[in-house]
Amino acid sequence: MPPDKNFYQILGVAADASQDEIQRAYRKLARQYHPDVNADPAAEERFKDASEAYHVLSDPQTRRRYDAFGADFRQIPPDVDPEAFRRTRAAAGTGTAAGGGAGRAGGGGGFGFRQPDIDIDDLFGGFFGGRPGRGWGPIRGADQEAELSLSVEEAYRGGRSSVTLSDGEAFRSFDVDVPAGVTDGQRIRLAGQGGHGSDGAPPGDLYLVVRIMPHPGYRLHGRDIYTELRLAPWEAALGTSVVIDTPGGEAKVKVPAGTSSGRRLRLRGRGLPNRTGKAGDFFAEARIMVPDRPSDAERRLFEQLAAVSDFEARRQR
Amino acid sequence: MTYALIRVSRPGDQGLGLEAFARATGTHPDLIRRLVALGVVDAERDRAGELWFSPGQVGALARVQRLRAGFALNYAAVGLVTDLLDRIAVLEAALRASRRSGG
Repeated sequence: MPPDKNFYQILGVAADASQDEIQRAYRKLARQYHPDVNADPAAEERFKDASEAYHVLSDPQTRRRYDAFGADFRQIPPDVDPEAFRRTRAAAGTGTAAGGGAGRAGGGGGFGFRQPDIDIDDLFGGFFGGRPGRGWGPIRGADQEAELSLSVEEAYRGGRSSVTLSDGEAFRSFDVDVPAGVTDGQRIRLAGQGGHGSDGAPPGDLYLVVRIMPHPGYRLHGRDIYTELRLAPWEAALGTSVVIDTPGGEAKVKVPAGTSSGRRLRLRGRGLPNRTGKAGDFFAEARIMVPDRPSDAERRLFEQLAAVSDFEARRQR
Repeated sequence: MTYALIRVSRPGDQGLGLEAFARATGTHPDLIRRLVALGVVDAERDRAGELWFSPGQVGALARVQRLRAGFALNYAAVGLVTDLLDRIAVLEAALRASRRSGG
């Protein structure tokens, strides 16, 4: 624990806050960051900090000592006079008057002073492990959840992907093997990478929830991929063959004669692959475009077409 | 036509007996029996009346204990909280899915 960690700041209360305010602030933070309520990996650290701060500030006696001696108050023997301590400390510049703490085990009658070095995980375990005699043993850590953002192409190909998670203060990096053809919302489990267990119990698991980022050219629906296929009116009317991009590379689509806007041309199996079943399909949706400013010749031809044709676009179906 | 899934194997084939479950979770068997009676932990009873637990219940009980310790809840309240958390998780997943396919 960094020595400058301020318990009042962690709880978001003033240094002269009443016990009620401290309790209220802690309960609010606990509801927000409890690892079973908030699966974000950063939440556990916040909850631990808040629990530690509350543990210290909720007991008037420890709170007085914390106020007098600061964050390393546990290393100060119980009979040290706060005034004397402040003077010694000021004289010594830095450093604490600790050192004798370990030898004072059993004396003083206060609680918490018997452990000169309190490990934060012990303390955390204390919260989840419960007080002795309550029948709680070691408790496995909570499962955590984080997002893994992938492009459509990455989801298609699969392979190594690197994820960095903020863990409160620390950062953790993982290399994840993403299976080819993961879909949006699918969960990848990293066993044992979740929240800490207490008293030596195993940690929880970390789940990476795949999020496929929006793509300018593709729309996803499960494993099926949709793209827009722009056609000139004569291409749509007479039929043509167009080369389009798919995540798996270029593909040729045959546009049959008489294709109207909205018609879906399917490339079977060219969607996201599937390890255990049928791959998705790739759909090219026809969309007919006309020239913004037709040339005189084009305009004449369109007018001619309009005069000759008995096609009525609005009467179909 | 839909068919209900039926467990073919005996519960003990893949699950934990009460003693093993108690060891795995570090919890006293008496407390576990109470939690089963309260519906906080799911268990199956074989013909001999013995309790069997699926491995997933180890994590479920750990969550119960963390919630109980973190919020000073009694076990009936923990049951409610875990049910609500599960329901919220399902709703959030559905919301994410619909937001993505719609947008």
